[in-house]
Amino acid sequence: MVPLSNYLVLSAIIFSLGAYGVLARRNAVLILMSVELMLNAVSLNFIAFAAYLDPTKVTGAIFAIFVITVAAAEVGLALAIVIRLFRNRATSNVDEAATLKW
Amino acid sequence: MATEVLWWIFAAAIVALSAGVVFSRSVIHAAIFLIGSLGGVGAMYVFLNVEFLALVQFLIYGGAVTVLILLALMLTRMGASGTPEKLNGAQAPFGILVGGGLMAILIGVAVSTNWPKNVSDKPFAISIQTISNRLFLDYGVPFIIASALLLVALVGAIILARQEEGE
Amino acid sequence: MGAHQAWLLAAIPAGMFVLLALFGRYLPRKGDYLGVLAIGTSFVLFFFVLGDFLHVGPQHWPIVETIQWSNIGSFHLRMGTFVDPITIVMLGVVTTVALMVNIFSIGYMKGEPRYYWYFAVLQLFVAAMLFLVMADNLLMVYMSWELVGVCSFLLIGFYWEKRSATEAAKKAFITTRVGDVGLFIGIILLWKATGTFNIQEIIQQAQAGQIGHTYLFVSVMFVFLGCMGKSAQVPFHVWLPDAMEGPTPVSALIHAATMVVAGVYLTARLLPLFEVASGALLVVTIVGLVTAILTGLMALAQTDIKKVLAYSTVGQLGFMFVALGSGRPDIAMFHLMTHAFFKSLLFLGSGSVISATHHNQEMDRLGGLWKKMPITGTTFLAGCLALSGVIPFAGFWSKDEILHATETWSGGWAFILLSFAAILTAFYTTRLFIRTFMGEPKDREVYEHTHESPLVMTLPLIFLGILTCVAGLVIWNGVGRALGFPGGITEFIFLTEPERYHFDWVLAGASIGIAGVGIFGAAWLYWGNSLEKSTKLAEWNPGLYQLLVRKFYFDDFYQAVIDRGVLGFSYIVAWFDRYVVNDTGVDGSAQITGYSGYILKYLQTGRVPNYAMGIALGVVGLAIAGLVVRG
Repeated sequence: MVPLSNYLVLSAIIFSLGAYGVLARRNAVLILMSVELMLNAVSLNFIAFAAYLDPTKVTGAIFAIFVITVAAAEVGLALAIVIRLFRNRATSNVDEAATLKW
Repeated sequence: MATEVLWWIFAAAIVALSAGVVFSRSVIHAAIFLIGSLGGVGAMYVFLNVEFLALVQFLIYGGAVTVLILLALMLTRMGASGTPEKLNGAQAPFGILVGGGLMAILIGVAVSTNWPKNVSDKPFAISIQTISNRLFLDYGVPFIIASALLLVALVGAIILARQEEGE
Repeated sequence: MGAHQAWLLAAIPAGMFVLLALFGRYLPRKGDYLGVLAIGTSFVLFFFVLGDFLHVGPQHWPIVETIQWSNIGSFHLRMGTFVDPITIVMLGVVTTVALMVNIFSIGYMKGEPRYYWYFAVLQLFVAAMLFLVMADNLLMVYMSWELVGVCSFLLIGFYWEKRSATEAAKKAFITTRVGDVGLFIGIILLWKATGTFNIQEIIQQAQAGQIGHTYLFVSVMFVFLGCMGKSAQVPFHVWLPDAMEGPTPVSALIHAATMVVAGVYLTARLLPLFEVASGALLVVTIVGLVTAILTGLMALAQTDIKKVLAYSTVGQLGFMFVALGSGRPDIAMFHLMTHAFFKSLLFLGSGSVISATHHNQEMDRLGGLWKKMPITGTTFLAGCLALSGVIPFAGFWSKDEILHATETWSGGWAFILLSFAAILTAFYTTRLFIRTFMGEPKDREVYEHTHESPLVMTLPLIFLGILTCVAGLVIWNGVGRALGFPGGITEFIFLTEPERYHFDWVLAGASIGIAGVGIFGAAWLYWGNSLEKSTKLAEWNPGLYQLLVRKFYFDDFYQAVIDRGVLGFSYIVAWFDRYVVNDTGVDGSAQITGYSGYILKYLQTGRVPNYAMGIALGVVGLAIAGLVVRG
């Protein structure tokens, strides 16, 4: 099949795209979606390592399970906050939530 | 041979869909692209012979997370649906800088490292027995804590998002 | 009880000091008799020490007794007593004069405030002085040195209600302090070179040539600075005349007989070092000569009896240093001893006059007191004759020997200069005597109220008077041997080998002639206590007279140095402190902090994407840095 480095490169690309999305998007939900992309890339990376280098103690896979779990919990909470924000300010544009400034 | 071609197709699809998430002008389109991207990653797991995790990926991400995101999107739209909001902030150029930089570094490192010689081209099969042994025996404590975390997140989300009286 | 227990001589007064300082107030008569008791005990014990010392004989000298003081790593320090002929002389002098002064003080200080404290500090002083002369290492010397300085300070400033007394005490302490710094530097230099503080070991190492030549000279000169300070040699002489603000018995004890001779003692003790360092002895001689002449000149213009005696003391100390510079510690110690006796006699005598005339010290108001105070007058005359160097009084023998030493050592010039100083000495001493005791009284009021002092004050005068007459005779070998010594004083104390004393008629004649010139000169000028001739002499050259009256402007010079130099320097330091340290350092750093905060606050935009950007840039930066470092 394909060598390990392919998976790593793929995960790197997805991660970078996710990073760009976090920084460039203005809608809070879109930012969260980019974060999801990053987490996915990370899980892919871990599982690739586990599958290729560590078949006995599949630490990478366990890590990926936990990443998925925590990502799900985090998304739930973050969206709850976004909904709250939307209710208070009638916008989900993160640039508008800037009162904690100098 | 065939799997390899298939792999490349899937890889290209994932990249395209991810790019779509990040660059598209409509939030709903971005959400749909996200579903596709997550599904693609799940397919990658199958290629890696970790079917259990592929199933988990589809279930949780494709099922729960994306639905949640779509719900949130619908709850936080304003004005008439379909109006494209200005979606890219002033940080876009810097974002490209950062993304490009990260990509360059990571790919550079990944390609230039000499991976150990026992890496064959074929990934090992990770059976569900192995995973469950590891998860429940060696990492039992993190597992319990993770479940507690989920509980807390659940309760927290409810409290954060509920309607107060009079709102 | 013998020479090994010599430390008792110092320990007893030290203990009495503690007792008097703590409880003196509550004792009957404020404990003055306790003071006399303590010093009297030391005086008696001295004879035991002396007897034991002579008994064991020269082959056992010096007698050393040490204890282990400190043992830290490679630093070992032993402290103890070192009794050799020089020590014996000093012990005798200090205990005798201290006893006389203590007895005298009972009469003189009657009714003064802080009576008990006076006696307490006297005890402390005697203890410290005795420790100083018995010390076997330089650290102990330094400690005692400082302690006698403190006692001097306390006693000069005894009447601290008077501004001039506190000023004088400060001046004394500060001037000697300058010298003490030199002493300490010298001690440390010697320690660095030899690794020990013990005096005998240092001398042995120096004589064996183990110390570099220039190094030894420099360190010896530093030590000599301390001696100059304590013994009030020029240019440190300024404190001694001012020290006359203290009670007169204090002047007799500390500033005539004991503390000021500490410098002479230390130089005598370290004389082998001075010998090895060539040139050091010459410096000592020159310092002594300059001092003797300058102070002799200054004494000519003084009108306060105590001040005349103070300048006289400084001059006589100069004589002792000349003797040391000629390589004769025996003669220096001899002159020290005789000078202690007759100078303390003169001071106590003047104390008797002062007390009787109700604190009138100015010669302008005295005169003709011999009729009223016969005992004081007679003893004072004995002292004056001794100071002028008239045979057979004590001063003649010692001064004669000093002249002899300079003649043999350096040839003509030192002898001539010293003779000039001797003439001056005789002159102003006679002037003092005539104006105080003879002729017509200048102030009838004062004259009427004067009467002889009580017995408690005249007894010490008589005792010292007797000593003044006979003490000089110990130079004769026969006299010395009769008393149990191995010979005359020149055979008892010696640097390299004992010298037999022989009487030189020519030199004796010259000495008497010198004294005679001075005496007759003064007698002619002042006979009958008339000031006509002397005022005409003063008017003949007013500039010269002013020079003498203003003490060669030494005090004015020092004051100017302090005013300009010290204060000017302190202005610079104050400027530095205000503008550099405070404004720039303290205020400046606070302002930088505030200002940087003022600028940096704009980073807090409140916008989450900006913060995310910060994180991302940081991560990328770190990754790049990590890669670069890893190579």
